[in-house]
Amino acid sequence: MSGRAVAIVGGITTKFGVRPTTWPELAQEVGAALFRAVPELRTEDVDSLFVGAAEPERFAFQSHVAPLAAEQMGLQPHRILQRTELACASGQSAIRSAYAAIASGLSDVAVAVGIEKMNIPSMAEANSAMGCVMDRAWDGPHGATAPPFFAMVAQRHMLEHGTTEEQLAAVSEKNHRFANTNPTAHFYEKRFARDKLLRLPIIAPPLRLGDCSSMTDGAAAVVLTSEERARSYTDTPAWVRGSGQYSDFHNLANAGSLTEWPGLTRAAGEALGRAGIGVRDLDLAELHDCFTISEIVEYEALGLCAPGEGGKFAADGRGDLGGDLVVNPRGGLLGCGHPLGATGIAQAVEVFQQFSSTVPPARQVPDPEWALVHNLSGSANVHSVMVYQRGGAA
Amino acid sequence: MSTEVRPRRGVKATMAPPAESSAARPPEPESAPKPPKTFEKRPFLLDFFPLEGADQTRLHQFYDRLRAGRLSTTRCTRDGELHWPPRTACPKCHLEELEWVDLPETGHVYAFSAVLAGAPLGMESEMPFAVGLVDLDGAPLRLFGRIEGRPWTELRIGQPVRAESYDIGDGRVFYRFRTVG
Repeated sequence: MSGRAVAIVGGITTKFGVRPTTWPELAQEVGAALFRAVPELRTEDVDSLFVGAAEPERFAFQSHVAPLAAEQMGLQPHRILQRTELACASGQSAIRSAYAAIASGLSDVAVAVGIEKMNIPSMAEANSAMGCVMDRAWDGPHGATAPPFFAMVAQRHMLEHGTTEEQLAAVSEKNHRFANTNPTAHFYEKRFARDKLLRLPIIAPPLRLGDCSSMTDGAAAVVLTSEERARSYTDTPAWVRGSGQYSDFHNLANAGSLTEWPGLTRAAGEALGRAGIGVRDLDLAELHDCFTISEIVEYEALGLCAPGEGGKFAADGRGDLGGDLVVNPRGGLLGCGHPLGATGIAQAVEVFQQFSSTVPPARQVPDPEWALVHNLSGSANVHSVMVYQRGGAA
Repeated sequence: MSTEVRPRRGVKATMAPPAESSAARPPEPESAPKPPKTFEKRPFLLDFFPLEGADQTRLHQFYDRLRAGRLSTTRCTRDGELHWPPRTACPKCHLEELEWVDLPETGHVYAFSAVLAGAPLGMESEMPFAVGLVDLDGAPLRLFGRIEGRPWTELRIGQPVRAESYDIGDGRVFYRFRTVG
C-alpha cells in the first residue's frame, strides 16, 4: 500500500432496532458511546469526520448532516468534514474516505460514523425511500425495490444451480443465531429455527420474511489513525491492508445474468491483492447479507466455492464457526438489521472487536488475523471491499 | 403495441382515451371507485413517474412515442450502440447525436418476482403485483417492468409477453408488459 499505514483503533455500535429516537439523538448516542469505548481519545484529537448516511433527507428530512453529526457528537473537525453517500455502502464509504485521508497525510485522526433512522410513521414513504435507490424514473415506476430484485437473483440461482429454499434458510438461521450473541442486534432476542423460517410469509417470491434484512434504526462509529499514533489508542489495531471497489451498472436492464457478481470478484481481487493474501487466508468475513441469496452469491464471487455451489456451502456450514471461515459472526444484516449508513461501520466494529477478543465467546473466531468486509449497494451494482489485519507492526 | 388506458389506482379501464393535451384528465365513470387521495396529493418528490414534457426532459420523445403506442429508445448514430434507458449522450463514445428507434413489442420473461409487501407510496393498493426482466425478441435488451395479465403464481420463466403503454391517470404515460397466450 502506498502512503502511511492506517488502522482502526476503536469503535462502537449502538443498539440496532426500532428505536424511539431521532437521527440527531442517534448521533449523540454513538458519540457518547465512542468516547466511552476509546477512553484515550480526546475530542480535540479528531481532526476529521466522515458521516455515512444514505437517506437522511428521506427518513429524517435533514440535509447537511455532516456538521449536524459533528455538533451532536461534540466534534469540531478542522481538516475534513463530509458526508459519504453510497446507499447501503455509505458506511464503508466513510471508512474508505477516512483511510485515504490519513494515508495521504491530510488527516491524522479521523472518525467515521454511520447513522440511519429508517422507522418512520409511514412505511409506504419508507418503501419509497428504498425505491429511489434504484433508477427511479425507469425502474421505480414499476415498483422496483430491493426485495423483488434479489428475489429474481434467487429465482435464477434456483433455476441454474438447483439452490433450494432450505439452503437460503441455512444462511438466515446461521446469521440469526449469531445475532442471538449480539445485544446490539435488532433480533438479539428473537429465535429463528430453520423450519420456522420456511413458514414465514413470502415478501417477494421466492424470498420470505426471514430471507430479508429489515428496516432498522442505529448508528456505529470507528476511530482511524496512522501508524504513528495507533498504539496510543489500542494494543490491537485493525490495520487496513487492502481496499477495492467496483461499479457495474445502475439500471436493472444492465444487471447481466443476476447470478454472477463479477464486480465483487473484481473488488475483492483488488483488496486481497493489495493485502498480498488470498481468500483462503481469511479467518472471518463480514459479507453483505441484505438477503440470504446475497451471501450465497458472495461465497461464489469471492471464490470460497465454485460457481453454483454457494447454497451447498451454506447448508454444509462452511461459513459457520468450525467451517472454512466464519461469515457474519456479528449476525449480519439479517440478524442485526440494516440501518443503511451504519451497517458498513458496524461490520468494521465487529472486525476490531474480533481482533481484540472483546466479543462474547459464543461468536469469537479463534485467533483471527485476517478479515474481509464487503458492502454492496443498491441492486448489487456496486461492491465495496476492505481487508484488515490484526495487531502486529504497522 | 396496444395503447390501453388504465389509470393506476382503482379506476377501471373502460374510460375514453386521454386527449392530446397533457393537462386533460380522463373522465371518471360514476360507478368507478375513486382513486385514493394520495394519487392527487402525492408530493412531487414521492412520485416515481417522471415529468414527461419537452419543458422538463430532453427525452420527451420517448413519452410522445409511447403515447402513440411505440416503445422506443436511443441509438448512437456513430457506433450504433443501442441504449437502455434512453440517453442524451452515448456512454461508449460520448457522442450527443443520437437517434430514436422503435423496440420490439414482444419478449420473454428472463426472471420475475412479485411485490407482496413493502410497496412504495401510492402502489400499496396494487399489491400483489408482478415484476420481471424481459428479454426483447430480436434486440439485445433486457427490460425491467411490471407484468400484468396473470397472477404471479401462474407466471413462468420464458413466459411470452408484449409491451404496452398505459395512461397513469393524469395524462402521463408509462410502459409495462402483459402476458400473451
